[in-house]
Amino acid sequence: MISARNTVARLSPLLACLGLLAVWQVAALWLDTESFPTAWHALQTVPQVLGDPEQLLNILDSIRRMVIGFSLAVLISIPLGLAMGRSARVSAFFNPLLMMIYPVPKAALMPIIMLWLGVGDASKTLVIFLGVSLPVIYHSFQGAKAVEEKMLWSGAAMGLNGLQRMLRIVLPAALPEILTGCRTGLVLALITMVTSEMIARQSGAGNILFNAMDMAQYDTVFAMIIIIGALGIVLDAAFDKLRWRLVKWAEPHQEILLGAS
Amino acid sequence: MSAQRLTAVLMGALPILVVLAVWHALCSFDFAPPSLLPPPGKVFLRLAQQLGSVGFLDDILATMIRLFAGFLIAVVLGVGIGLAAAVVPAINAVVRPLVQVLAPLPKVALYPALIILFGFDHASKITLVTLDALFPILLSTYYGASMVEQKLVWSALAAGTPRWQILFKVIAPAALPSILTGCRIGLVIACIVVFLAEMISSTDGLGHLLVGAARTFQTVDMFVPLITISLLGLTLNGLLYGLRKYLLRGFPEV
Repeated sequence: MISARNTVARLSPLLACLGLLAVWQVAALWLDTESFPTAWHALQTVPQVLGDPEQLLNILDSIRRMVIGFSLAVLISIPLGLAMGRSARVSAFFNPLLMMIYPVPKAALMPIIMLWLGVGDASKTLVIFLGVSLPVIYHSFQGAKAVEEKMLWSGAAMGLNGLQRMLRIVLPAALPEILTGCRTGLVLALITMVTSEMIARQSGAGNILFNAMDMAQYDTVFAMIIIIGALGIVLDAAFDKLRWRLVKWAEPHQEILLGAS
Repeated sequence: MSAQRLTAVLMGALPILVVLAVWHALCSFDFAPPSLLPPPGKVFLRLAQQLGSVGFLDDILATMIRLFAGFLIAVVLGVGIGLAAAVVPAINAVVRPLVQVLAPLPKVALYPALIILFGFDHASKITLVTLDALFPILLSTYYGASMVEQKLVWSALAAGTPRWQILFKVIAPAALPSILTGCRIGLVIACIVVFLAEMISSTDGLGHLLVGAARTFQTVDMFVPLITISLLGLTLNGLLYGLRKYLLRGFPEV
């Protein structure tokens, strides 16, 4: 009984995908314009796009930039967020500045950063870094703030120094929250990646998407939408699996997904 | 207490001042040519100038119309669907997998499709803002509503509340803090997305101003819309915080 229910639960996202594609198909058939291809047609174009070595290299380029930007952001943001959560001074110092930066669209900084660093990898990676770091800082901050004082006192009483307490008590206790932040960051990284490449049309998945749009190759446009969407869903699912392994012990946590930058 | 708050405010102002000072120093000691990084004084002067001009205010207005329209639709849909999914299991069974698939999708990638479907005008941008702001609001409404203590519902039923009123009298108010948190996240996202959509394709709005300035290398004019959208985001965030304080008066912790 439980396993049957599990299979249904596992298959339901797949069913949802199929349902969405079916709606698309019907809508396209009903509208019947050249600029809006059917789902079936777009799906057929996907292997064509991926089969072209140049385009495939472009997409891999994007993924490489995303991975570098994301990893750097996570490495720097988690310690900062934890420090902010544990020390009122550090949080009073950084909080207002971060609040100011939060509503700035990071990809909109692209034109300015391009002036300084050129259109190459550096500026795109920097923009991804900026986009990912804020939610990760914010969630690490929240997680570290919510750590129970009693545990820290016990740790101190048992002779752990500040750094050890940070690593052995605060970090594990804040981990579920941190991973929620990382998941948000992952979605943001993907979005920033696409937008930054759209602004600096030089290489990458966003470049293919918007160039095809400008040249009215609507099949390629929709095929790229499918590819980027699939990338988002696969990365998110993979991350969720990792998270589940790392924090199996924690309560199922509220997961709010941010979706923009 | 107030002295403590004062130091906290001063501490917070410090890094912002440091950033401004470094920015100013970079310009005045000629580390950065003014064509790449204009001095902050010039940027803020230009911002003040622009705020007096009708054209700039029109652009702000266009951006705000899209922002508010998209955000409000997202709030209505998000809260509605979220509450419905939390209360009715059948709706939950349909909504849940759809959200699982759609929430991690990078919505900006859908923008070309939206342009094709809805044209270059307000409609495509408002749809994009709605799509992006919807999911955080929906998810936090759903979690807030499904965390409502069953005891509260039972007490209300025992006190004679009709079943159909439970949703509005018990569940929605109890989920309110969570809903407002979702709205806050949605608002930041809406600010960001409306700007991006205007950068991609538009004839007016703040994002369009930035792209126009970038094409002609008017560095000062590139900073002005960025600072404006940041200030707009901060102001709206402040207003929402005030609304939250007002709506949640009497709640144990905010």
